[in-house]
Amino acid sequence: MNKIFLFVPLILVMLISIFCLVFLLQGKDPSKPPSALLYKNLPDFDIINLFDDADVISNKDLKGRIMLINFFASWCSPCKVEHPLFFEIKKKYPNILLIGIDYKDKQEEAINYLNTMGNPYDYVGMDNKGLIGLELGVFGLPETFIVNSKGIITYKHLGPLTKKIITNEFAPFIQ
Amino acid sequence: MNLHLSSNKLVLIIFNLLILLFSTIALSDEAIDDKVKKITSNLRCMTCQNQTIYDSDADFSKNIRQIVRQKLIDNQSEKEIINFLVARYSEYIVFTPQFNRRNIFLWIFPFLIFALSFVFFIFRLKKNPTKQ
Amino acid sequence: MISLIGFSGLILSFIFNVIVIVSYYYKINQRFNHIFYLALYCSLFFMCLSFFALMFAYISSDFSNFNVFQNSHSSKPLLYKITGTWGNHEGSMLLWLLIMSLYNVFFSFNITLEDHVRKLTIVFQSFLYLCFSLFVILTSNPFLVNSIDSNEGLGLNPILQDPALAIHPPVLYIGYVGFSLILSLALAGLILNQLDNLWIQVIKRWAMFCWLMLTGGIALGSYWAYYELGWGGWWFWDPVENVSLMPWITGLALVHSLMITKQEQLLKRWVVFLSILCFSLSILGTFLVRSGILTSVHSFAADASRGIFILILFLTITGFSFIIFILKSPHSNKQINLLFINKTSALIINNIVMLIACITILLGTIYPIIIEVLTNKRMSVGAPYYNSTVLPILLPGFLIMSIAPMLSWQSNKLDKIKNYIYILIVTSILTLLITYLTKFNIWGFTGTILGLWIIAASLLSILHNCLKYKFKKFFIYNNALIAHMGVGIMIIGITFSSIFQTKNNFTIQTGEIVNSGQYSLQLKNLKIEEKNNFQELLGIFLLHKKNEFLTTIKSSKRYYYVSKVITTEAGIYHDWFQDFYLVLGNEKNNKWSITIYHNPLVSFIWIGVMIMIFSGMVGIFKR
Repeated sequence: MNKIFLFVPLILVMLISIFCLVFLLQGKDPSKPPSALLYKNLPDFDIINLFDDADVISNKDLKGRIMLINFFASWCSPCKVEHPLFFEIKKKYPNILLIGIDYKDKQEEAINYLNTMGNPYDYVGMDNKGLIGLELGVFGLPETFIVNSKGIITYKHLGPLTKKIITNEFAPFIQ
Repeated sequence: MNLHLSSNKLVLIIFNLLILLFSTIALSDEAIDDKVKKITSNLRCMTCQNQTIYDSDADFSKNIRQIVRQKLIDNQSEKEIINFLVARYSEYIVFTPQFNRRNIFLWIFPFLIFALSFVFFIFRLKKNPTKQ
Repeated sequence: MISLIGFSGLILSFIFNVIVIVSYYYKINQRFNHIFYLALYCSLFFMCLSFFALMFAYISSDFSNFNVFQNSHSSKPLLYKITGTWGNHEGSMLLWLLIMSLYNVFFSFNITLEDHVRKLTIVFQSFLYLCFSLFVILTSNPFLVNSIDSNEGLGLNPILQDPALAIHPPVLYIGYVGFSLILSLALAGLILNQLDNLWIQVIKRWAMFCWLMLTGGIALGSYWAYYELGWGGWWFWDPVENVSLMPWITGLALVHSLMITKQEQLLKRWVVFLSILCFSLSILGTFLVRSGILTSVHSFAADASRGIFILILFLTITGFSFIIFILKSPHSNKQINLLFINKTSALIINNIVMLIACITILLGTIYPIIIEVLTNKRMSVGAPYYNSTVLPILLPGFLIMSIAPMLSWQSNKLDKIKNYIYILIVTSILTLLITYLTKFNIWGFTGTILGLWIIAASLLSILHNCLKYKFKKFFIYNNALIAHMGVGIMIIGITFSSIFQTKNNFTIQTGEIVNSGQYSLQLKNLKIEEKNNFQELLGIFLLHKKNEFLTTIKSSKRYYYVSKVITTEAGIYHDWFQDFYLVLGNEKNNKWSITIYHNPLVSFIWIGVMIMIFSGMVGIFKR
């Protein structure tokens, strides 16, 4: 009986090591928590067009197509870095719907920003109070979501996109 | 008859007073402040490192504090507010692990081994007769 | 050039440690005995050379060294150039090696132990040194040459530019790393089957020393967190804090159980287990902090390959030790003299409680990792969890600690037990009265009673001792009691400062006065000061209590040019019974937001820690 107890610390050491090793090898990043909404339905919300206050669409109307929702703002510098990549995505995957949401920003500044940087999005929504962001659990810009044709969130990326991420991680979800 | 009426009135007045009292409690600023403090000290500021939303000065925390306050004014319970935030920001946002099947081990285990070792200790005590 | 010297030192020190091990293996005649010690000293010499080479590179701002380039800047004050040596991952690992080597050499001067036990301990210590040395050389070499030709560095993280944090790592490491010697001693004793009185005497002294340094290191760290982070608190159950607390707790259990083994010659298996556990937890802690697997305020730059390396080290060293433990652990058929309640049972309760507390903290720290691996969901285990598990578990330990030193080994009689009961009743009534007058809080109530009870009962025990021994060898008889009184004082401090803390936010203009309780605070003026490596926005506040001038408080924000980071420097007015803690916030329409914390009895925490350290020192030197 006593002998069994002697093995307990050794087993614990093994278990801890295995879990930590798997965690490290999976390349998880502690500063990027996985989204709570992954594999859930995209919550319903209305989006006001950035260029036209009267134009409001609901995301329910957009079902049926693969969507890429990108949260950006004119004050967010990492957003500028990833911005050109959306032109490439649009060229490479023409049938997906690119939606940009301008998060906690001033309307004029955002329009200005898109005019100088170019506008890769099919539709740009305005979220100056951060309400859509709240529904999707956005907390640090930029954040990018992929929603499949059934309206389920299949992928989320926190932080600026890179070419590597697009080719390695995006591909299965937007084909 | 008269007496009966007045006592009825009295009950009504007391009842109204009670409602008034409770409604003031529900809406008093101080009570809401306390509740905001209680709830937000249990929430993680997602943009900071291991700081509570109550302690943090980041924009994210200010925003969530406001949302929590608004929801309290709208008479939502603490549980509803927590659930609302967990649904959006994942369980990561609450510092207290929730009591659910996944976390049962986390909560029970320390007390379990504590109880077991206590029993074991008592058991060993009996085996040693007091020698003076 | 300097980097080359440093790196050669590192390599030579490695080689000499190999020689130590090899010459032990060929211990045929006296000549090799000579080589054994000579190699040991040489390895320390070259380790020192390597370390001081790095330090020199920092002092002379030699940016051809990549490590210096990344972590230093020529405009930094000299003090922070020196301490910058261990302000980064690579340098701190070099400090780790230096301390390991120092322990090995200092231990070799020990003459209490028999020769072969001492030598085997040195060999194990050398082996551990080799493991970590390999880690430094392969993954964290501080002597890499900078590929960019630069005459300016990137700068030290500003929050590390602080006197308390400058000496915090060495003190902490002397504790943390010192447990490696305890492990070596335990392994040597196990293998040679020499867990005798001498061994216990030696390990007790070293363990006490390591544990004391760890206490000091943790205290410095939390004091730093108190005034530098500006969060109003000093302990946040942050993963990195937990990780340093775990070896501290097992060290505490070890120091205490070494007392039983000395008296009762039993539980040797337990002592050996704890000795192994202390350093295992130190390595695990190092892994968790350095691999970047946890998010924390204190974490180092994350690197997965380093993480995997330390994980392998952890698995090898602890796995090896625990296997030896299984194979060779001593067993005794003698029953332990457990009574209700004598000194042995009190110490056993202490050990059980400490170990469970440690397991709980470990569980809480790694549970999120396990959950994320299994379910890909992130969760938090934060302060509320630890407060509601660890604290209740520690309760029985706290309850008996004040009388424990007075208990007898043989019988369950306690002298003058009535006096203790009176004291317990009086403190309870007193606390009830106090809490009746203020806001009632169950935690505050329990904490206050516990603290008061520990202090009062310890004082009573000291009084009994004094009557009995007439002040002869006062510190020797009362040492444990004094230490426990320190804990009581600390508990009071912790309880009051965390539960009865108040926080108020104000906005204030120059010249304006705000009132917070009995205090009023006036913003006298704001000024901007240019310093060598930062710009400081200094708010000067006048603190009054009931119209009586108390002090000026300076609270500031610093902007560090090089790293473009803003830090807050909380302004603290220390009083014996409270701290007035002021954080300067942001400006809006010419009004500054300030946060005022009123922290009662914080000083008690530091006083308590100092008392514990003091009596620990007495414990090391007493015969």
